[in-house]
Amino acid sequence: MASLWRKIKKTGRVAEPAPGRPESAGPADKVGELAGSVQIRHVDAGSCNGCEVEIASAFGPVYDAERYGARLVASPRHADALVVTGPVTRNMEMALRRTYEAVPEPRLVVAVGDCARNCGVFAGAYGVAGAVSDVVPVDAEVPGCPPRPEVIVAALRGLTGR
Amino acid sequence: MTGSLLATASGLCVVTAAAALFVPDRIRALVAGLGTAAAGGFGVAAGVAAALGGRWSVWLPELLPLAGVRLSLDALGGVFVAVTGGVAVCTALYAIGYAREHGRVVHGVLPLFVASLLLVPAAASVSTLLVAWELMALTSLLLVLAEHAHRPEVGKAGVWYAVMTHLGFAAVLAGLALFAAHAGGESFDQLRAAQLPPAARNVVFLATLIGFASKAGIVPLHVWLPRAHPEAPSHVSALMSAAMVNMGVYGIVRVGLDLLGGGAPWWWLVTLAAGALSALYGILQAAVSSDMKRLLGYSTTENMGLVLLGVGAAGFFAVSATPVLAALALTAALLHVVNHAGFKTLLFLAAGSVLRATGVRDLDALGGLRTRMPSTTVLFAVGALCASALPPGNAFVSEWLLLQSLIHALPASGVAGAVTMPLAVGVIALSAGLAVATFVKAFGVGFLARPRGGQAERATESPATMVSGMAVAALCCAVLALAPTVVLPALTAAVSAVLAGPPAVSGQVRLQLNGVIGTISPLLIAIALGAAVALLLGALRLVANQRARRRARLWDCGAGPMTPRMEYTATSFAEPLQRVFDDVLAPESDVDVTPVKESAYLVERVRFQSRIPDRIEHRLYRPVLAATAALGRSARKLANGSVHHYLAYGFAALTGALIILAVLR
Repeated sequence: MASLWRKIKKTGRVAEPAPGRPESAGPADKVGELAGSVQIRHVDAGSCNGCEVEIASAFGPVYDAERYGARLVASPRHADALVVTGPVTRNMEMALRRTYEAVPEPRLVVAVGDCARNCGVFAGAYGVAGAVSDVVPVDAEVPGCPPRPEVIVAALRGLTGR
Repeated sequence: MTGSLLATASGLCVVTAAAALFVPDRIRALVAGLGTAAAGGFGVAAGVAAALGGRWSVWLPELLPLAGVRLSLDALGGVFVAVTGGVAVCTALYAIGYAREHGRVVHGVLPLFVASLLLVPAAASVSTLLVAWELMALTSLLLVLAEHAHRPEVGKAGVWYAVMTHLGFAAVLAGLALFAAHAGGESFDQLRAAQLPPAARNVVFLATLIGFASKAGIVPLHVWLPRAHPEAPSHVSALMSAAMVNMGVYGIVRVGLDLLGGGAPWWWLVTLAAGALSALYGILQAAVSSDMKRLLGYSTTENMGLVLLGVGAAGFFAVSATPVLAALALTAALLHVVNHAGFKTLLFLAAGSVLRATGVRDLDALGGLRTRMPSTTVLFAVGALCASALPPGNAFVSEWLLLQSLIHALPASGVAGAVTMPLAVGVIALSAGLAVATFVKAFGVGFLARPRGGQAERATESPATMVSGMAVAALCCAVLALAPTVVLPALTAAVSAVLAGPPAVSGQVRLQLNGVIGTISPLLIAIALGAAVALLLGALRLVANQRARRRARLWDCGAGPMTPRMEYTATSFAEPLQRVFDDVLAPESDVDVTPVKESAYLVERVRFQSRIPDRIEHRLYRPVLAATAALGRSARKLANGSVHHYLAYGFAALTGALIILAVLR
């Protein structure tokens, strides 16, 4: 316990200083209703896990997306927004639809990574049903393969408005 | 009045038994059921009449050789006769529909069992008590064995029951014979007047305590109970669990408090400790059991433990000169006997209804009965609520009274009381908490959600006679829960039959404790609870209606439809409890991994087995059984078939006896 306290004291704060507030990325009415607190369910629709590593980093101590009001939760029933990664594979198409249905209104969808936006290198592959926007309505997109954590955090700040 | 009612009840039982043997198969169940139910009704009337002042006694010298039959029904016996009668009414109505397939023996023996149960509390001499006791043991044994042709476990359970009940009988016999020898007579009046040396009194009390406690299913003599109850037909289980085990309590109260008149404080501390141990151990085993009837059997051990705890406390207070608390504790114990009889009848009958419809007792294979058996589900829910010692159930009232008597003991009793009573309060609180978990499991897993097996899926509601039997029991439970004061005069009279002093509890709507501060009104609590629930539901409805509603699919992680395999089972529900009480329960689990032939790293099959053996049975009985078996095997060498040897044994025994006689004389 004492060593843990020492470690905390020695390490101090590692989070990067917050950049200026970005332009709002999501639809203004939903963002306004969520009032700065967005609970997020992450759905891996067929990703190579590159985007997952970056999302984990965005919620890690350095980028610390939680200080802007975004938070990852364990069930779409608890969520306000879905963060979808990867091209939507045929196996995950129905699951993604049902997950979207399970999120209470108002709901937002963020497509993270090039695969989620336009299938990326997997475009036209036989196991791919399409991009995320082909399956559920998308409110915000994060480009990159994989996107940098700063960009993900900026997109999430667009949803929280903080 | 009392006498003629009791005689009518017993006579009806005998007539019904004879009729059941001779009427044609088609109407046998109906005749036996109606006759037994009528006898039960007369039993209730006789018990109530005795409890309300119609004390009655009779001596029939011709009926039994040497001693004759001496019967007497006072208020204490009356309470037990009335309880037995009530249970008999419910079970007999139920048996009309339930026991149709049973043969003439079962239908003929059941009324005799009821008759013996009615006669035990009415016996007024040692020989009469023992004859009635043995009749009760034999008839119940025949009933336990009713389905022995279909399932081999029934025979095993029957052997356990026969041995345990007869060891208990031997203990009672030894104790009462010693008592009668010292008293110079065997009628209860002579026993009451007898002056025994202290050592003899101790022996008499301990021997009868052991004998009666084994009938009441008290730890560590409970082992027959969770075996015999599941294997007996359900209406017999109900009679045994709700009426027969009470006779053990009756015996302890009658001999310890009435005939021996109190005695040493340590007697009652032993009784109290045995009761506390049974309450905890019984409910723990019930909480982790997934066999519905076994669970109910262990719950009987728990409830009898609570009753015995009350009796022990009453005896302790009586001999430590706090009669107010003694009367309160005994009232609580007797009220719990009545309450337990009500809800345990209901629960066993409902379990039997499920068993008839599905053929399984395993909670892990049940579920989904709410839509298929609505009446049984509602009735089991009532029983489960009553058994879990929460308001507005009826066990709550008696356990509250018991807690009051223990809590108020603190300033009044000495060091022993000051140490024991807080522990007893803790035991009652813990067992009440575990009882809630147990019955939430039994009801939730057994009746709600979706069926876990094909048999539960094909279940259909039981016939009207069975439902009516359960409904009568549920009605009694409801009356006891909302207006326990209706049985109060009878209980007060029963308490004053063995303990001197003013009535402990009085009141019409509110239960008012006399001598200590405390009032409770079960009716007002129930009304307040109902109002609170209605208010909450109304408020929720109001809030929910203000927001837009959307119908959505049940969240299943986006995968395919939910299957019954995803449901909680009784085993998984009890797992956290099992983990907490790991050291006490000592569960055994067994993982068996079979690799494929070609490689040790590829698994072909994994078999997991987990069971929770009764640890007391394992540790205490197995060694005794093994030793007895070894003795039997070694004795077999003596009987080698040679006639010469046998003649030599006879000769040696005779010579030995003559030599001993010659030396002693």
